[in-house]
Amino acid sequence: MHELSLVLSLLEIVEEQASRAPFEKADSLLLSFGRLSCIDPQALQFAFSVQARGTRAEGAVLRFDIRPVTIYCLHCEKELSPPFFTGACPACGGVEVVLTGGTEEMKLIEMEVDGC
Amino acid sequence: MKVRVVQNVLDANDRIANTNRALFDEKNLYVMNLMSSPGAGKTTLVERTILALRERFRISVIEGDIQDTCDADRVAALGIPAVQINTGGGCHLDGNMVREALADLNLDETDLLIVENVGNLVCPAEFRIGENDKVMILSVPEGADKPAKYPLMFQEASVLLINKIDLLPYVDFDLAKARRDAQAIHPGIEIFEVSCKTGQGLEGWIAWLTRRMETRRTG
Repeated sequence: MHELSLVLSLLEIVEEQASRAPFEKADSLLLSFGRLSCIDPQALQFAFSVQARGTRAEGAVLRFDIRPVTIYCLHCEKELSPPFFTGACPACGGVEVVLTGGTEEMKLIEMEVDGC
Repeated sequence: MKVRVVQNVLDANDRIANTNRALFDEKNLYVMNLMSSPGAGKTTLVERTILALRERFRISVIEGDIQDTCDADRVAALGIPAVQINTGGGCHLDGNMVREALADLNLDETDLLIVENVGNLVCPAEFRIGENDKVMILSVPEGADKPAKYPLMFQEASVLLINKIDLLPYVDFDLAKARRDAQAIHPGIEIFEVSCKTGQGLEGWIAWLTRRMETRRTG
């Protein structure tokens, strides 16, 4: 259920941006977060469609740049990108691995706006 | 027109957390944010920690729960100032909820503030409250796959307490895997194996916490 809190913060950022460089309407928002950050795009979309009503972001399209899971395997000596983190290397099966990406917190990267 | 923003969505919460932290620093108090699944043993750890440190430090507690005051009542029964935050369905504490609760505590009379978060392995990891350390409990009946399933929580925590080790003979919990995965997600994370019920292993935790408090308070 953190999607609701994330959307409320997101809408605040949109308003803050509009107060700095005025625009009428946000048409799309590009969001980035890690695959392992437990953010559900569908829940986010739903929370957004409800919370954005009556704001300048109403009807905006949410676009997602979901950052992949990456691990570094100390045995293979390289970075790999498995679909999930299991604690083991998908290539050699070794467990000497370090999680290097996939837990990035949500960022608003860019917006397309109208009526500047 | 495209507008480049690149801003953390939770920036607003981080700003409030930073204000909390400045206040904690000014009052020279150490704040730990305690997180785990529901039922992992957070309140029992709070009670154990109070009993071990109450002679040396002045302790206050903020209890976060979806509803009711039974956790705060347990702490208050030990004679420790406790404030209950009811999130009314919210699944985590945020900087602002903690800020409002601080008004009901005497921070000048507090050395250690324990904030017990809502039981949840997902959301509390994202919302900073101005704490010095995030402390996490994983209890063995939950299973050794939890670090791999909820990596952000393990990445954020300074220390991991593997609790209920008195139950190890009765449950299938791969201790080596839990430790290994936690280290793969957060190299260098401190890990203690404890039983808050029997007291086993708690001396390591208490020594760690005391060290963190002293380091924080002396500079």
